[in-house]
Amino acid sequence: MSGRPDRLGTTAGDLRTATGPVGLVTEEPVGRSTAWWGMTLFITTEGTLFAALFGSYFYLRFQHGAPWPPDGIAEPELLLPLIMTAVLVPSSLPVLWAEAGIRRGRRWQLRAGLLGTLVMGGTFLGLQGIEYSEILREYTFTTNVYGSLFYAITTFHGAHVTVGLLMVCWLLAASLHGSFGTRRHERVRVVGYYWHFVDAVWVAILFTVYLSPRL
Amino acid sequence: MSSSTAAERGTGPDPAAMAALDSHWAAAPTLRNWFATVDHKRIGRRYLVTAALFFGFAGASALAMRTQLAGPEAGVLSAREYNQLFTMHGTAMIFLFSTPMLFGFGNFLVPLMIGTRDMAFPRLNAFGYWVFLFAGLFMWASVPAGAAPNGGWFAYVPLTDERHTPGLHLDVYTLGLLFLGISTTAGAINFIVTALKLRAPGMSLNRVPIFVWAIVATAFMVLFALPVLNLDNALLFLDRRFDTRFFEPERGGNVLLWQHLFWIFGHPDVYIIVMPALGIVSAVLPVFCRRGIVGYPLVVFSIVAIAIISFGVWVHHMFATGLPQLSYGFFSAASTVITIPSGLQIFAWLATMLFGRIVLSVPFLFVVGFLVTFVIGGFTGVMFALTAFDQQTTDTYFVVAHFHYVLFGGAVFPILAGIYYWLPKITGRMFDARLGRWAFWLVFLGMNLTFFPMHVSGLLGMPRRVYTYSGGLGWDALNVLATVGAYVLAVGLLLVAIGVVHALRRGDPAPDDPWGGDSLEWATSSPPKPYNFAVIPRVRSLHPVWDPATAESTGPGADEDRILAEGRRTLFTSEFDGRPERAVEMPEETLKPLVAAVGLLVLFLGLLFAWYWIAAGSGALVAGTLATWLWPPHRAPEEAGMTT
Amino acid sequence: MSERLSPRAALVGGLLLWFAVLGGVSAWAVHALAAWSIDELACEAGHDNLAGFPLTGAIALAVLLPAAGAAAALAASVLAWRRVRPNHGDGDERSTGRAHLLAFVGLWLNTLALAMIALGGVAALVLPPCQR
Repeated sequence: MSGRPDRLGTTAGDLRTATGPVGLVTEEPVGRSTAWWGMTLFITTEGTLFAALFGSYFYLRFQHGAPWPPDGIAEPELLLPLIMTAVLVPSSLPVLWAEAGIRRGRRWQLRAGLLGTLVMGGTFLGLQGIEYSEILREYTFTTNVYGSLFYAITTFHGAHVTVGLLMVCWLLAASLHGSFGTRRHERVRVVGYYWHFVDAVWVAILFTVYLSPRL
Repeated sequence: MSSSTAAERGTGPDPAAMAALDSHWAAAPTLRNWFATVDHKRIGRRYLVTAALFFGFAGASALAMRTQLAGPEAGVLSAREYNQLFTMHGTAMIFLFSTPMLFGFGNFLVPLMIGTRDMAFPRLNAFGYWVFLFAGLFMWASVPAGAAPNGGWFAYVPLTDERHTPGLHLDVYTLGLLFLGISTTAGAINFIVTALKLRAPGMSLNRVPIFVWAIVATAFMVLFALPVLNLDNALLFLDRRFDTRFFEPERGGNVLLWQHLFWIFGHPDVYIIVMPALGIVSAVLPVFCRRGIVGYPLVVFSIVAIAIISFGVWVHHMFATGLPQLSYGFFSAASTVITIPSGLQIFAWLATMLFGRIVLSVPFLFVVGFLVTFVIGGFTGVMFALTAFDQQTTDTYFVVAHFHYVLFGGAVFPILAGIYYWLPKITGRMFDARLGRWAFWLVFLGMNLTFFPMHVSGLLGMPRRVYTYSGGLGWDALNVLATVGAYVLAVGLLLVAIGVVHALRRGDPAPDDPWGGDSLEWATSSPPKPYNFAVIPRVRSLHPVWDPATAESTGPGADEDRILAEGRRTLFTSEFDGRPERAVEMPEETLKPLVAAVGLLVLFLGLLFAWYWIAAGSGALVAGTLATWLWPPHRAPEEAGMTT
Repeated sequence: MSERLSPRAALVGGLLLWFAVLGGVSAWAVHALAAWSIDELACEAGHDNLAGFPLTGAIALAVLLPAAGAAAALAASVLAWRRVRPNHGDGDERSTGRAHLLAFVGLWLNTLALAMIALGGVAALVLPPCQR
């Protein structure tokens, strides 16, 4: 075998070496920190929790049968949740930007990015409050199983957003204090992971709670 | 039996390095340090002792129940008391004894077996212990208060909803298990990360001891199974306390949701309990057959396979609930196939015994006790795979007999074997073998005398969970036998406890390697020093202690990067191949884990008694403690990587 | 063994080994979850079709697609197991030994997964979907 594939042959050569003995013994994933593994596993178990919650939603919904939502409750309004999505999902970008900054040693970029996320996450919680104040007039968590599910899922996610925001506040405080730099920023990285997770869960909620009753 | 000491094998760098290690790792014996310790060995010992204490409580509950059932229409316990005792017996044996006990072994042994100096997250480890202790006390305190859980260990709705069981009983259950879940999850994450990052250099995955494989597989199962139980309990708590409607059919809820979620957790939990115990067997049995385990790759495969497939069998607990036959079919397939890896392990042990030279010591006796009872439990388990038989015996004493054979055989016998096997390492003292043999025979006979008659009374139709029964139904003699057996069993277990205390007080000093074991815990002193290994070994085979090259690596002339005497340090290695990566600083003693755990205790008490402001306040306390706990250490700008 | 490995080839090789280990059981998990929820939820709602699509057809898909996935993983694990042989005396014996063990574990996991999916398929052939 030629050890040095030319440009055109790169892909084929890569595939051949990848499926050869040298490629197959590659250690992957490798070289991660304990914090990285700890956060990854924590997100895994939290993700399972949300998966079980969504599973319960669909189980109860299909066992209940049509109409869904039951008892004359209107289908969920979409305008506000879509605005909330537009606020929360892009809030992952400032965290990424902040992390990229501290990798290059730019503390101002870290601080500005975290502040941006804080503002966007706080706005999301405020909008959720507005949404509750409107929906509570129609039904509460004791009205029926639909109400219970709606409030349990969204409140549980809201609690996760709150925890994520507390983490971001904590990072912001630590970054004002110093202590992060090009070599030391693992905490920024893993909190970022948690924040992306919280965002991803919201997308799943948007589909489950808001969009799927309209299908 | 070989009994080499560390000195003979030449362990130990120069005295100056030893003194430095001592000064960095040994904590002064102060009261503060007793509460603040992060040493995995002390925490492991505490797990073992605390779990044994809860085992004692749960065992005493069982004795009270057997006394009540000795004869028909007895009046020792009222129906109310009986309900609380059998619920607490089951709940405590499953959640407060088995898993914490095996996590205790894991805590003590995993860092030693993989050749490192502590767990990956030592403070999280301390936190996990305190949470376990407080959650256990939280639940047991409800018994004298007369408010103990009383809906059976799986707490089916609608029996357990607010309407049918008012009072705090089930709130203690849901909140107690949620509280305990924090500890179990923290422990599981810690085990996985420790096993991935802290293995001694050279210990690639194909050289990891079976016990460590078993603990890691268990930890993965915990991460995927426990959140489902937590969700179930949270929903039940919300239904009971805040009138949500998840389990209320009149408002669109569904009672079967409880069962589905419970058994999605519950069946993997059977393996969460048994898997580390099987790991103990795989550690103990080969040593007393004087050879390595037969079919190491097959045993690893079987552990991984069981851990995964066990998630696909839960519906076989619900064959009596009237789901479509075809959906039973999908779960029957998994339930049938999972017997293949389970059987493989049994045959690997039998082959090891067949090809080895057996030494009939006390730990080995308990392993044999395990094999016999566990296989009988497996037999009756296969019988339930016939849906028709299952529907006939559901909720009879036949089921009680079956799962006691599985769990007593599959968990308690290996745990007892483990206690005798590692007692010299944990305490530095040898036990009295004659006392140990007496204990074994009493436990073995008592166990069979208690539970074998239950097969028969179950087939004769005696339902489980009844606080009394009328005479003349053919159950009387069988119940007397079972009660006598329970007392014999209790005496046997008492002898085990006496043996441990006797060893601690009067036992001969234990050599480093009394059994001629093969894994790394036998390559250090008994009991191990706070830093475990003066030199972190370089592993060259699956049986490092039997392998001269590995033993040599801890001798004189070891390279500095495996001694790491400046500071409290240990070595990170790569995830799967165990290549050295870098030395890392480990945390010192701290009270923060204890403070956070106390905060959680107050939080859960606040939720239980509906003092929500107190709960919120202690939640803030926990958050604040965590914030200071994880606060980044102050670093000079150059060290953090800032040039300006 | 002195062949140069580009980073991309290394990543693909490492991930391929993990597919060989866990691909089959992942396919089985998808099968079990999909087949069970389709069957139970459709029957509970009282119809034998899924938005116009016949129920048996949906279940057949939930059997055949995962079966194909598991078979692919099985092929990958056989390939890996045959190509990666621990070679004593070799300097990189650790990685080879580890990869060989993982491939072996994968080989049997995939076999069991394929067996479970096939058994589920047999059940779907024999039993009418909503019989209780």
